[in-house]
Amino acid sequence: MGNRSGFSAQTLAVLAELCATPSQWRHGYGVARDTGLKSGTLYPVLIRLADRGLVDACWEDEQPAGRPRRHLYRLTPEGLAAARAALAQAPSTSRAGARVVGGRRVVPRIAP
Amino acid sequence: MNRLTRVIEALLQWSAGLLPADRRVWVQALWAEADEVPPGWRRLAWLVGGVRLTAREATLPRRFGYPLAFTAAAAVVAWSAWSGPAGDSAIAINRLDVITIAVILAGLPWAIRRARGPVAGGRLARLVRTGGYVAMLALVLAKAAVERVADAPPNNLDGSARAWEGEVVFLAVMVGYAVVILAFTAQRSPAAPVTVAIGTATGAVVGVLAYALGPLGFPLRFTGPWSAGFYDAAIAVGVLLALCAPVAAGWAATRRADRSVPTGSRFWPGAMAGSCTGAAAALVVAVLSTATIALLPYSSGLEHWAAGHIGQWAPVASYGKSVYGYGQAPRHGYVAGNSAFAAGYLIVLLLGPLLGCAFGAWAGRAAGNPGPRLPRRPGDGPPLPGPVPTPETGSSPASRS
Repeated sequence: MGNRSGFSAQTLAVLAELCATPSQWRHGYGVARDTGLKSGTLYPVLIRLADRGLVDACWEDEQPAGRPRRHLYRLTPEGLAAARAALAQAPSTSRAGARVVGGRRVVPRIAP
Repeated sequence: MNRLTRVIEALLQWSAGLLPADRRVWVQALWAEADEVPPGWRRLAWLVGGVRLTAREATLPRRFGYPLAFTAAAAVVAWSAWSGPAGDSAIAINRLDVITIAVILAGLPWAIRRARGPVAGGRLARLVRTGGYVAMLALVLAKAAVERVADAPPNNLDGSARAWEGEVVFLAVMVGYAVVILAFTAQRSPAAPVTVAIGTATGAVVGVLAYALGPLGFPLRFTGPWSAGFYDAAIAVGVLLALCAPVAAGWAATRRADRSVPTGSRFWPGAMAGSCTGAAAALVVAVLSTATIALLPYSSGLEHWAAGHIGQWAPVASYGKSVYGYGQAPRHGYVAGNSAFAAGYLIVLLLGPLLGCAFGAWAGRAAGNPGPRLPRRPGDGPPLPGPVPTPETGSSPASRS
């Protein structure tokens, strides 16, 4: 499922999801729910993106009541640029790839 | 469900400890999110994904799984081959077999790694390498079982020197197979992945077909006119298919690669595919048939069936005397004869890759005109689709991110 951008369909789905609200910190389950990716697929993608400096990751500052602190993610400026380039370069591929993502259709939303 | 979820949670927490610190934080992140996931199957699936993540990040299968599996398989083969009286030359040969094969299969990857690099990425290379190892260990196991019965005193009348000579040849052939399997599945393989895939798959099919037509290593006898005629026709078709298979594999591999290969070298992908076809077919049929022969003394039903279909081979296969296997009741003579046919597979193992290589090379030369030249992929694979190479790992999406 490779494409000209060099990202897999699953990675494109994650990039599209984070690109939709680039200033917001997202948590893993939210991204998984919105992309349809399973945890065993999503987290390796996030790890590789973080390794390449395309995604920032941090823990929540405050300890919320009744649940553990979450690990949060958002695109770095480089990640945002790479995501926009990849999604613009292969929009049809990403939509086609979305069909295999958890059986759910994921249409990339690119924030201006 | 709750109990299973707790077990997986505990497994996830424990397995996170196997990871380096910079990776452990990701598993902790996944675990912290688990409370958000609705309970039941969805939460269980989320946690199972975490266990998969730890296994992948710790590269457990590569670091521990393959060596452990190989050690276990080699131990089983050694245990099986070791049983028998120490003075029996057949048992001594079996012991030499298993020790040498284990050393070869364990040590050769290190040597091939230096020459050809580590195992190629993707599932195909690991599948072929694992399958080849399994087949070679299974062949040693089956061969040891045959020789334990058929070559045990008083049947090893030819003298042990001849048996030792044959053993040296067998081990040399096994070294050759191991080198080919490891080299063809290495990163700097002389053959492209598609060539290996076409050749190996074709050869495996041919091997299974050959086994189906002669599970004891020779043509069967059918008494009924219809069944005999049908079997003769099947044999003719089988021989034709066996001859055509390396040609077809060589042709297909060359057509996949021809635009990237210089005109004068177009025989190469065909030769590689044909070699893979011949080697895979020979290995598959040798393993299956030798294993069937090995089962003969232990299965009265199989023995009865074989006795009814040996036909004109009976005088050759049966010496008219009993065979006394170690710890076994007297067996009919055809077991000893069949051991000779089992040894015949050594010839099949030798000739299979050579004939396949020749047929495949011929098909490669004959396989159409090349198209326009494009940048060449490593090995003899198809041309690159564009200026930016696309990783084709075929396994984890993350590895392509």
